[in-house]
Amino acid sequence: MISIDELTFRYDGGADDVLRSITLHIERGGFVGVIGPSGAGKSTLLCAMNGIIPHHFKGDYYGAVTVDGKDTFDVSLTDLSLTVGTVFQDVESQLINAVVEDELYYGLENFSVPKAEADRRVADVLSQIGIESLRRRAVSSLSGGQKQKVAIAAVLALRPQILLLDEPTGELDPVSSRQIFALLKTLNEEHGITVVIVEQKIMLLSEFARELAVIDKGQLKYHGPVREVLTHSAELERMGVNCPRVVTLSNALRDAGIDIDRLSLNVDEAEAMMKAVLE
Amino acid sequence: MIAFDGVRYAYPNTEALIDNLSFTIGKGEFVSIIGENGAGKTTVSKLIDGLLKPSAGTVTVAGLNTAEVKTSAIARHVGFLFQDPDRQICKNTVREEIAFSLVLQGMEQAEIDRRVSRIVESFGFDGGKDPFTLGRGERQRVALASIIVAEPEIMILDEPTTGLDYRECIQVMDFIQALNDQGVTVVMVCHDMEVVLDFARRVLVLSGGTLIADGDTRAVFRDQAAMKRASILPPQIIQVAQRLGGAFADAAYAREMVAAVLTGRAAK
Repeated sequence: MISIDELTFRYDGGADDVLRSITLHIERGGFVGVIGPSGAGKSTLLCAMNGIIPHHFKGDYYGAVTVDGKDTFDVSLTDLSLTVGTVFQDVESQLINAVVEDELYYGLENFSVPKAEADRRVADVLSQIGIESLRRRAVSSLSGGQKQKVAIAAVLALRPQILLLDEPTGELDPVSSRQIFALLKTLNEEHGITVVIVEQKIMLLSEFARELAVIDKGQLKYHGPVREVLTHSAELERMGVNCPRVVTLSNALRDAGIDIDRLSLNVDEAEAMMKAVLE
Repeated sequence: MIAFDGVRYAYPNTEALIDNLSFTIGKGEFVSIIGENGAGKTTVSKLIDGLLKPSAGTVTVAGLNTAEVKTSAIARHVGFLFQDPDRQICKNTVREEIAFSLVLQGMEQAEIDRRVSRIVESFGFDGGKDPFTLGRGERQRVALASIIVAEPEIMILDEPTTGLDYRECIQVMDFIQALNDQGVTVVMVCHDMEVVLDFARRVLVLSGGTLIADGDTRAVFRDQAAMKRASILPPQIIQVAQRLGGAFADAAYAREMVAAVLTGRAAK
């Protein structure tokens, strides 16, 4: 679905390469968490997937990125946005209309979607995201989690096949963060939308994502199934990426010479693992 | 150091955000306030530093009744680190930013220079840099430095680790821990329960504007009724430990779980 080959990028005027020879393939229907320390190049990588690089941010660009089989160089940013929807880090700057409903119609009107079709899609995303009750609310009156859901709904109204999100839960409390992840899981599993999410909350990533891509200093350090990537917990912590504490527990058991079948990724798995250890 | 006595707070023409809230925090404590969005955490922290005055009841901070004194009088005792560093950074260089609160206090220039130099050095900043060219984590550290330089007796931290990566989070929290070790009272609003477990010694749980639990950090996290009512998921290892019970019931860290397994095996 997204194919990045040997991508190296340096912003115009920048002193260093922000991305260094990154090769990463994301399958259709994947749910990939991108993690790494601040300044590692995670947001830049997302911009290379949605075409903001090279179309908006210019710089030295080597390698190739194809989305749905098309090189992002050859497709306009407008056309790409029909395939790739992006929810940016700062949701406040993404929401530009006063009322929720207007925000949802905004993109559709820009793409000249006929009124009847637009009505249908707005109704669809409102129910898909579970925010029918917010339809006529003022955006300024919403909580952070509600705004985040509206931003996701506005992007989904364009029916993208891929959803990119840059730290969507940064400002949210644990309950709202979990709701956003549960929503992404539904969109991924029931609607087949490919999800790529940059996120610092490793606990949520390990519970909801299927793959992790770890970026450090512009390079792809690890990419694979979550459980596999988290076996490198010592190296990850050196890089500045922490691990869920149930993973730390799994690794600590192994280090103490206690056999376990596999790393635990959540509390349920850790409980089962401990019961097996005690038998 | 901080005393809330029957405190109520309501914005005009609305229901009370907090009601009948009473607690005291002693000098040198490290307390975390937890609860859902809207539970009243930020309101409580603003009542402590005098940005808000109670609608009923009294808030006493460093011996001052906050309703009777100006916010600036309280600010001499209390430093407030906002969640978003950009809400407090306003000067063109890191040095000027850090000096700003001291200039406002009318401190002598020689003393300002001395304090700022010491802080700039201990944080390892480039004092001439424009704070807005720094990354989010660095800006958060500049905001923290500009509070510490005033040597407050009480520090209020509103989500100090939001937007920081793991390494930056540890850096900021270790610094706050060191201040607490020197006797500074710390009150931290925080959503990251692992950070609360690692640093706070006491936890207050707010739900719907009232205090529903108050005590030793581990004990509060084990209070399942309070956790459920406040919609809080306790740290992972505490959850696992509670499900296992027995020799594991007290564990909060992986190393403690492993030690309990090894002790059990040795006993067999």
